[in-house]
Amino acid sequence: MTEIKKSNVNDTSRRSFLKGTSALAAAGWIGALTGGFVLKPDWAHAAGSIKMGIATDITGGIAPSGNANWQTAQFAAKQINDAGGILGRPIELILEDTASDPGIAVGNVRRLVERHNVDVILGGITSSMREAIKNPIVKRGKTLYIYPQLYEGQECTPHLYCTGPTPYQQCAELIPYLIAQGNKRFAMPSANYRWPQLLNIWTKRIIEEHGGEVVLEEYFPIDQVEYSATVGKIKSEKVDHVFLTIIPPGLGAFTKQLYETGFHSNGGTLSCVYYDENSVNYVAPRELEGVYSCLDYFHTVDDTFSNNALAGYNEMWPGSNYKLTAGTAATGMYRGIKLFEAGVNATNGDLDREAVSAAIDGVTNVQGMGGEFSMVPGTGHAAMNMYVAQANGGVWDIIKSANQVPPNECA
Amino acid sequence: MDEFIKVTFDILSFSCIMVLVVSGLAIIASLMGIFNFAHGEFVLLGAYTVFVFRETGLPVWSGMLAAPFLVGAFGLLLEVTIIKRFYKAAIAAMLATYAIGLIIRETVRGLIGGKFWAIEAPIEGVFEIGESSFSIWRGIIIILTIIIMSGCYLFLTKTNYGLKIRGAMENPSLARACGISTNKLYAFTFAFGAALAGLAGALVVPLYSLFAELGLRFLVQGFLAVMLGGAGTFEGPVLGSAVIGAMVPGFQWLRVEIPFISYLLSPVFAEVFVFLTAIIIVKFRPQGLIKKGRI
Repeated sequence: MTEIKKSNVNDTSRRSFLKGTSALAAAGWIGALTGGFVLKPDWAHAAGSIKMGIATDITGGIAPSGNANWQTAQFAAKQINDAGGILGRPIELILEDTASDPGIAVGNVRRLVERHNVDVILGGITSSMREAIKNPIVKRGKTLYIYPQLYEGQECTPHLYCTGPTPYQQCAELIPYLIAQGNKRFAMPSANYRWPQLLNIWTKRIIEEHGGEVVLEEYFPIDQVEYSATVGKIKSEKVDHVFLTIIPPGLGAFTKQLYETGFHSNGGTLSCVYYDENSVNYVAPRELEGVYSCLDYFHTVDDTFSNNALAGYNEMWPGSNYKLTAGTAATGMYRGIKLFEAGVNATNGDLDREAVSAAIDGVTNVQGMGGEFSMVPGTGHAAMNMYVAQANGGVWDIIKSANQVPPNECA
Repeated sequence: MDEFIKVTFDILSFSCIMVLVVSGLAIIASLMGIFNFAHGEFVLLGAYTVFVFRETGLPVWSGMLAAPFLVGAFGLLLEVTIIKRFYKAAIAAMLATYAIGLIIRETVRGLIGGKFWAIEAPIEGVFEIGESSFSIWRGIIIILTIIIMSGCYLFLTKTNYGLKIRGAMENPSLARACGISTNKLYAFTFAFGAALAGLAGALVVPLYSLFAELGLRFLVQGFLAVMLGGAGTFEGPVLGSAVIGAMVPGFQWLRVEIPFISYLLSPVFAEVFVFLTAIIIVKFRPQGLIKKGRI
């Protein structure tokens, strides 16, 4: 049993502490107290442990994803430690809460670099968070940074590695499939920020290359609650497919209003590339039915390694609200830790940033959720398996898979 | 014609949603002179009540019935313990209610795990007129809003109790001299406003989803509606919120339907435009659409 040490509270048992704090954490109540958790391994090595900094959103609006990331990180570290560590040295995790607030995050991340002197930092979920913490980590902090979330692409900073899918990976299989299904007229209602704007550039290009047409592309305030004019337009323009990048809180109102125009019952289809196993909570069942998504992993992917890992995660966190899914960046977090492990193995235990970074750049065929992945040298991104899936009664049926889809970034 | 009915329905339904959400705020602001910054969280509590009922296996509609009573009782509790100490200091009252709102919101955020939850309406589905289909639940909200607002208006203008409330607000010392217990009336009015907010939250949550900022989303527009309609009356803020509520989908429809405007107005700017228009109206009618003292 590993135990948790909090810098200002000594020796609280991990389970009881986390249980009590997880509800409060979501409420943002313990944000001010956290001076970083240190999760020490239960065995030691003469050379000391390998320190991984996890900077993720334990509190605030992104907390549901951040907690899934933290649980995934603990699971991956435990797996590696139980198997003897990295070249005999155990992993020690140090958590800093980025609190869904880039302003708070910068200071907390600096603590990982300066006080804890970590060998790598993994984390950040939103793009604004990545933008805020990448310089304190990579430039000023001279530390390796691994960003786990699916995102809009164009992040080509040296020593920053992205382990989530890129726009090309999410669209290259999905869009041609949708068009082959007879969807010709597309609508792209979107939230007005960076991810939808840049993702839609790729999407639109692939739609047009395959003979489809975008008849509506609009960007709404993130919390807009009234979409009657837009869904009216989607109906009157006879749109076949809605490629949705509206996010909560605006999402609930949009999917409901769209459904109520009779879009689904008239044969219209919808896709949303961040929908995963958590979507059943925030999308009503009838509005989710038949929706397409494309991600690097679904629980229905039948792959022995992934099946075992998922079972192990669920055993470590029984009944947890925070699932090991792709939309929350948890699969990217898992991939990130395995990537770092592979990198350190390749340097033969040398933890110097330049050495590990050079090794990571050439890492190939590492096991992750959803299958093996390989870094594409010189790009900071990974080729990975992608799955097109359709919601069917709360389960994602895999309808198409593609092996080793290239990221198409930073080339 | 179809198009016309559709646009009218959309404008009317959002207008009614705004009226419903703002009415509790309006009653407390107009009759008591307190700008209740916790109003959004009373709306949230109403929505949360429905969620709790659903989670315990009870039907959604029973949660909607219970919400105004539970939130009203909570409002009463707040009034007797905290709010009543702030009647003489309007600014301090704003800060106090803001603090209460913050506590409620963050508590609810913790209880719902910081997530978004879809909540089904008691009656899902659509009805059709010609080519267009309309949400049944939005239709019900329109009817309920008209009934509730008429009821409130009649209660305040035609009943003895309503007269006492208005009297106590207009001239508290004279009312007390006449043997009216103003403390009780204030407590009742505050609880009544809270109950309306709770009901509004319970009714509108199926249209959106449950999340911690649900009420906050409407708060700024609500205050603007009170300003626009004119604080001090009941019908003023109600009219104000109806106007704001109509402008939100109204500008979006203008934007979508008229090509020239669509170049000028992005969806983001259409939202801003609602505020801009309201502020311009307030500039020229600072006393609000309806002057004080009508009720």
